[in-house]
Amino acid sequence: MNTVLNKITTLLLILMSVIASTADAARPYPVRPISNTVVWSAGGGTDAVNRMVMAEMSKVLKTRINVVNKTGGIAGSIGMNAVLRKRADGYNLVGLSSSNVVAAVNGGWNKRMDVWSPFIVGSSPDVISVSSNSEIKSLDDLVNQFNSSQKPFKAGAGGTGGIHHLYLLELARVSGIDFRFVPYPGSAPSQTAAITGEVEVVITSMAEQAQLIRGGKLRPLAMLHPDSFVLEDVGTIPSAFDKFPELATHLPLSQAIGFAINNEAPKEVKEKLGQAFEQVMKSPAVTEWAKQNYYQLSGKHGEAARKEFAELESFFTWTLQGLGSNKFSPEKFAIPKP
Amino acid sequence: MLDQFSNFFTILFNLVTDPTNLLVVFGASFIGIIFGSMPGLTATLGIALLTSLTYGFGPDIALLALLGLYVGAIYGGSYPAILINIPGTPAAAATALDGYPLTQKGEGGRALGLTTTASFIGTIIGLLFLVTLSPFIASMALQFTSWEFFLLALFGIVISGTLTSSDFVIKGWIAGLIGLFLATIGRDSLQYFPRYTAGLSELDAGLEIVPVLIGAFGIPQVIRVLSERNSLANTPKLGRILPELSAITRNAKHIVRSSTIGVGVGSVPGIGEDIAGWVSYSTAKNASSPEQQKEFGKGSETAIVSSETANNACIGGALIPLLTLGIPGSPPAAMLLGALLLHGITPGPSIEIDHPDFLLEVTAIMVLASFAMWANGMLLAKQVVKLLTIPAPLFIPVVGILCILGGYALGLSIFNLYILIPVGIASYFLSEMKFPIAPMVIGLVLGGMADESLRRALMLSDGSFLPLFERPVAVILLLVICYFILNQIPAVKAKTKNLFSFWQRKKDV
Repeated sequence: MNTVLNKITTLLLILMSVIASTADAARPYPVRPISNTVVWSAGGGTDAVNRMVMAEMSKVLKTRINVVNKTGGIAGSIGMNAVLRKRADGYNLVGLSSSNVVAAVNGGWNKRMDVWSPFIVGSSPDVISVSSNSEIKSLDDLVNQFNSSQKPFKAGAGGTGGIHHLYLLELARVSGIDFRFVPYPGSAPSQTAAITGEVEVVITSMAEQAQLIRGGKLRPLAMLHPDSFVLEDVGTIPSAFDKFPELATHLPLSQAIGFAINNEAPKEVKEKLGQAFEQVMKSPAVTEWAKQNYYQLSGKHGEAARKEFAELESFFTWTLQGLGSNKFSPEKFAIPKP
Repeated sequence: MLDQFSNFFTILFNLVTDPTNLLVVFGASFIGIIFGSMPGLTATLGIALLTSLTYGFGPDIALLALLGLYVGAIYGGSYPAILINIPGTPAAAATALDGYPLTQKGEGGRALGLTTTASFIGTIIGLLFLVTLSPFIASMALQFTSWEFFLLALFGIVISGTLTSSDFVIKGWIAGLIGLFLATIGRDSLQYFPRYTAGLSELDAGLEIVPVLIGAFGIPQVIRVLSERNSLANTPKLGRILPELSAITRNAKHIVRSSTIGVGVGSVPGIGEDIAGWVSYSTAKNASSPEQQKEFGKGSETAIVSSETANNACIGGALIPLLTLGIPGSPPAAMLLGALLLHGITPGPSIEIDHPDFLLEVTAIMVLASFAMWANGMLLAKQVVKLLTIPAPLFIPVVGILCILGGYALGLSIFNLYILIPVGIASYFLSEMKFPIAPMVIGLVLGGMADESLRRALMLSDGSFLPLFERPVAVILLLVICYFILNQIPAVKAKTKNLFSFWQRKKDV
């Protein structure tokens, strides 16, 4: 039964590709719509960046780019697996972020990030916040309350092993505060949980939280970034690095949001995408968007981006190893030490 | 307030006077109806596709297109539900309960007329809530934590089980439990542990809802009609499709109640149309007189009106947390959020500062979208009913092919068919044994949320169930669920009936 079905499928595929190739033989990539699978939930940071950049890319490439979300797994492994299984012809992109580099050591899949050729759009710094009803007004309050009660704080920070989770672990390590991590499918639901009071503390990026902070739903305690941050209508948010200089030993990890294609894609496809990407990153639509949404733009692609992701992978996975919160050692995947 | 109103009408007037706008909204609404009515195409998918297509235009045109499609798609799901008993969306499954019996009586046209007007009214009432009460409703929606999500999911499964059984209610619940079991397939979302995946990586993300939906509703219906050599319906009356205004006024109180339910359910982040229709259907049944109750499931107009108003009122509800907090209330609303972000509009608490009048603009566009849906619906319904005059042996195989194609088209994955066909065959045997199918699908749709929320809640409470009894909303939900379950025991039922008649008497005095 299976073989018959497979034969029929193969036959159909051959037929379709024959039709497709005769129709498109003369035209260079891209001849048909591209699909981009975002591995984080709709409405989150990676999703927003991908939708915006893909819309601009489709103008330059003169083809439609469909953006879909396929979430779940450990650190987005389900979506990454789904895209990697597809043909490496440049028609299947994956929308990802640096949070995905821990997928392997947390048991999500058994690949390294070098299977991808990434295009890095940029990043937004992380901020730790509490609900605006909370009695805690500053990082000092948080530490003091913990010292007097010794009760762990329930903390939301997106999915397990993501960058926000990592920041939480680092903060716990240097401050001595006990955080109980509660996983949510993404940043947006974990922020909602902080507003409803289900968790007491939340760590996500400024891009994701700015609206809620400005609207008075969340109260920022500190930036998990070496610099303080000025947010309009709110004021200056101090850096947690001032209070805990020790944070600087591992942080900041620059969060890299963007998209990627299978590294085995043809060279000319990568070049074409690279040119389009460079053009898009300079466009006023993207620069204006970055300003409005608290992003710092990067624009790396090709070897530079592969190198950055390799560094992030080594850094993230070995940090997790150091914190003892991973499932497999990075050695298992031959990830070099930073 | 008056200022707001005049402002609103200025915006509406500006929108209407531009013919491009009208063309866009009618076109989008038409496409939406097609998306809603075809198995395998969903509102979420439609919005996703249109988001990229409308990027090049201004935010006005994009919003007109997206909201037009959203409203149309939620309404369109009722077509196949009423005409061939194959709901295009889980939301329309409640409509199928009474819509299809009407079609079998040859009154499919009337059912469609009712649905169209009820959907229109539902959308408009939902909007009224959005404009007037959104801050209040948003704060209510924030009363929902993991415990409430768990109970709400459970509630949805229990009531769909209670309502759909033709003989024993327990059969409905068994179907619901099968759905809950199907929902556990895949890697669990909290610890990523593989459950019943048989080592297949395709199953890691769990069963896709659309292939199961098509398999469970479509395949049994195709087999049944062909094997029993039934025609789908008595010769349909091919009259004009009327807006059925008199039926609407007869059911005014049900409409008001159903819209409120729809808005309430829609505003809770993460769930939407799937539950609203069922909750509204069951409350309408409970609120009706015994004679009317007998009609439920056999083609009651009250039932259709109730579930369809609630479905569409959900849209307004889902927009409330989206626009006031930046939290999407339902899956299509999540797509809409993405689209807004693309156009540089970040919905959230500060939207009134960054984009004043945005709420009014959305409302004006929604009003247009509902008119477009209503007009399209009135024109389309008559043509759609004609499909029933095609002899079933010709029509139903085409439906079968469309079902298979719809399952495959979602992600172009042949694996979907390996899910669709076994589910379809199993559902056929289940329905032959008089197990209702809808609770199974609802169980799958809500099971993931029930599972994840319960476990997260227990994680937060260190394994204690006590917080469940400390939260007011949770206690109310728990009581309602207990009422529904206990009410199936005859002795308890007699008691509660006494209680109610006592209350009734007291009120009369």
